[in-house]
Amino acid sequence: MPTQVSSVYVHAPFCARRCNYCDFAVQVRKEGDLEGWRDAIAGELRAVQEEGLFALAPSLATLYVGGGTPSLLGAGAMSALAALLGPERLRAPHLEWTAEANPESLTTEVAEQWRRAGVNRLSLGAQTFHGPTLSWMGRMHGPDGPARAIGIARESGLTNLSVDLMFGLPRRLERDWTADLEGVLALDVPHVSLYGLTVESGTPLARAVVAGKEIPVDDEMYRDEYLLAVEMLGAAGYEHYEVSNFARPGFASRHNTAYWDGSAYLGLGNGSHSYADPVRRWNLADWDDYRTTVAAGLLPEAEREEIGPTERGLERVWLGLRTGEGLPVEDLNHEQRQRVARWVTEGWTASVEPRVRLNAQGWLLLDRLAVDLDSGAVG
Amino acid sequence: MDTDRIRNFCIVAHIDHGKSTLADRLLEGTGTLDQRQMRAQVLDDNELERERGITIKLHAVRMAHKGKDGQQYEFNLIDTPGHVDFTYEVSRSLAACEGALLIVDATQGIQAQTLSNLFLALDANLEIIPVINKIDLPGAEPERRRDEVVDLLGVEPDSILLASAKEGIGIEAILDAVVDRVPPPKGDPKAPLRALIFDSYYDKYLGAVPTIRVMDGTLRAGMSITFGNVEAKYEVTEVGCLRLGRIPLPELGPGEVGYMVAAIKEVSHTRVGDTILDANNRATGLLAGYQEVRPMVFAGLYPTDTDDYEDLRDALERLRLNDASLQYVPETSIALGFGFRCGFLGLLHMEIIQERLDREFGVDLITTVPNVKYHVKLTDGSECDVESPTALPDPVRITSVLEPIVRAHILCPAEYIGNVQKLCHERRGIFRGMSYLDPKRVELDFELPLSEIVLDFYDRLKSCTRGYAALDYEFIEMRPGKLVRLDVLVNGDPVDAFSVIIHADKAHSHGRDLVRKLKELIPQQQFAVALQAAIGNDVVARTNVKALRKNVTAKCYGGDISRKRKLLEKQKAGKKRMKQVGTVDIPQEAFLAVLNLGDD
Repeated sequence: MPTQVSSVYVHAPFCARRCNYCDFAVQVRKEGDLEGWRDAIAGELRAVQEEGLFALAPSLATLYVGGGTPSLLGAGAMSALAALLGPERLRAPHLEWTAEANPESLTTEVAEQWRRAGVNRLSLGAQTFHGPTLSWMGRMHGPDGPARAIGIARESGLTNLSVDLMFGLPRRLERDWTADLEGVLALDVPHVSLYGLTVESGTPLARAVVAGKEIPVDDEMYRDEYLLAVEMLGAAGYEHYEVSNFARPGFASRHNTAYWDGSAYLGLGNGSHSYADPVRRWNLADWDDYRTTVAAGLLPEAEREEIGPTERGLERVWLGLRTGEGLPVEDLNHEQRQRVARWVTEGWTASVEPRVRLNAQGWLLLDRLAVDLDSGAVG
Repeated sequence: MDTDRIRNFCIVAHIDHGKSTLADRLLEGTGTLDQRQMRAQVLDDNELERERGITIKLHAVRMAHKGKDGQQYEFNLIDTPGHVDFTYEVSRSLAACEGALLIVDATQGIQAQTLSNLFLALDANLEIIPVINKIDLPGAEPERRRDEVVDLLGVEPDSILLASAKEGIGIEAILDAVVDRVPPPKGDPKAPLRALIFDSYYDKYLGAVPTIRVMDGTLRAGMSITFGNVEAKYEVTEVGCLRLGRIPLPELGPGEVGYMVAAIKEVSHTRVGDTILDANNRATGLLAGYQEVRPMVFAGLYPTDTDDYEDLRDALERLRLNDASLQYVPETSIALGFGFRCGFLGLLHMEIIQERLDREFGVDLITTVPNVKYHVKLTDGSECDVESPTALPDPVRITSVLEPIVRAHILCPAEYIGNVQKLCHERRGIFRGMSYLDPKRVELDFELPLSEIVLDFYDRLKSCTRGYAALDYEFIEMRPGKLVRLDVLVNGDPVDAFSVIIHADKAHSHGRDLVRKLKELIPQQQFAVALQAAIGNDVVARTNVKALRKNVTAKCYGGDISRKRKLLEKQKAGKKRMKQVGTVDIPQEAFLAVLNLGDD
């Protein structure tokens, strides 16, 4: 029996430029290849159907189009996607259909046609409002790009908006984090995501770090910026509902929640990941490899793994702790509860009963605490 | 075989001076093994021995040699271990010989280890045949070495043979010298059986198989035998000699060297130096020289993963089957859990056991700081031996603590005298004399506490003499010293595995070095970690490992949970390799670092 999935991710691989920190499955070109993309996704859908591991639910709960830069695919991309998935699956009143966009490629035409196709949530990669830092990153938009794009989105009737910001950038850029947070508050959007810059190997940033030209941010500044954001966003009425996500009441991303609560999801497009308990698998990352494989009628799978009890346990602890929902304390053994008791005295928890929930201080140590708690599972 | 045609001899040499290569050439030269059977250095068949270039287990190989007189001779080449830890074993295998080939490296000359074994050979009244080896090497100085040997032994210069085992030069002359100069063994074939055990190995089918030298009488299958120092009786099922394996023979007579199989379950019954006797016709006197095995160095061995305790116990049991000198008793450490306190002949012996546990049995180990055995006199008049720092009684109950003192002989080029003296002085050494072997090389004698030698002394000696120094030592006596126990507290809890018994004058600097090193090695944790070194309640050094400030990668992109989980698994595995002491994870290197404090 195929696993029914009601959460689907679709990857749009094209970017006009690659950002200096990016290690994603990205294809750099001036304009997105809509035709090629549509054919490839259609091909993969056929292969997935034949395989019989996943089946699309008659009515999807969430659809997320990420990238890359989906807005580079142009105004017709979302209606084309709807046609592939089946318009009847996208009619649920509560469907959350998110598409990512970059400020420079979100035009009125794109926004309007996307909304008409069914997109009801837009995630905008702002990253910073500091001009020099934007050019350092290799972003194409200027400091006022996000405000302009938000205006376009709203005029087109898209109001469920999210903005991405990056913190933990090298000190020498002299980016003013307070100003950036004020900038995002001024946009008055219902959802904000914060990402700490990570130096991924193989990126231009990593090469600069290795060459000694760039110094990654120190832990103290990382902490300070994170905690400042938590404070300012909290004061502005945002709920800190996951380690890196903030939302006004009712605006938490339901698609991401599917990743965290262990639901099945299907990822389409190069480099995307799918999960149907106990299988997790991911697609070929390279766009050309991916499209030739699906063109040949094959599944573009790069690798897969079976999640066993040990792996599932660790994932559950880690994913549970990253959310504001936390983990039910009744699932923990005596040893684990003792460890949690120590967290309480260190001031890392928001609550323990009936669920263990980390606060911002605890989230700064999330990985360590997850390992700590999971190691206690057999104690 | 008529004893007149038997020649039992060994090779005395320093490590790397070509003992194994020469042994190979003798095997070849006598036709005992042909080229096809030769592996380089066949005698060192233990992988570890080959790698370290040292001989750990003893062997005896029988060779047939046709002398210049046309007669057939039986040669028994008895291998000896080449390290200071095994002096007693060396003395027992020498007792099985009548002669010794003294190998001197033509480039390096006589070394401390050679000297000490040479003196053992002279004590055993062996006929010494000096051989200057490696004469083919560019740096060879055979004339100078010849003079050295003449000075040392008072022999005629032309009795010294020149050879290159590697090139096969001088081998015939050595074989002839063995016939002509090594005396044939003596022994009474009609007397009751007396056979010397000079080695033993464990075979899983045959049990403990001792390597022996018959002194008097005859040993043959079917006999009932017993031992001089062990209450046990066995029936002999097989006797024979050793080549590349066992060659069964009808009997072993006086002067003959070989093995005995008697379904002996424990190697502890076949003790080196013990006498095998005829159970039905016991000889009245035992062979002289037997000693109980006396471990000199002690350390705790703990599995890194507490689940491996049973594996460690099994591995130690199996190792002891082959090595009766290994001693161990169960021990519990607050920090490390269940493990064993082990007694070793010396540091090298300890290292060998550690490596074998790791390599052959796959047990991941934490070894505590090695220590010696102390003798403690208490205020109530009682006395006790202390083999573990944690067992040292409360200072108020102690009248005095005695520690083993050794006489150390250090051989080095004269230019390093200053360095060696400085090192020995730092190690509480008392200078006892100095003599020049030749104008360039000198032997220094010191009395040193053994405890100062077991901690990295040898490495330091090597590094302060650019690798030229050689060390040998023997136990002299137990002597009172100003000794205290230094503890390390991690977040207020003493970690027993870091405790050491140390001279009071050195406790402070050791404590400071130790906490500094631990600070480097203990990774940041979610909590701050306080490190203290203390003597009793007196804290002599302290420092802190700061708490981890951040350990999170915030974003989880598009369902890519697997990659992220793998990073966490790595962290988890790293954590598992560490020892949890209270809430603090201490990596294995921290326990090892205590052994090498002087490195930086």
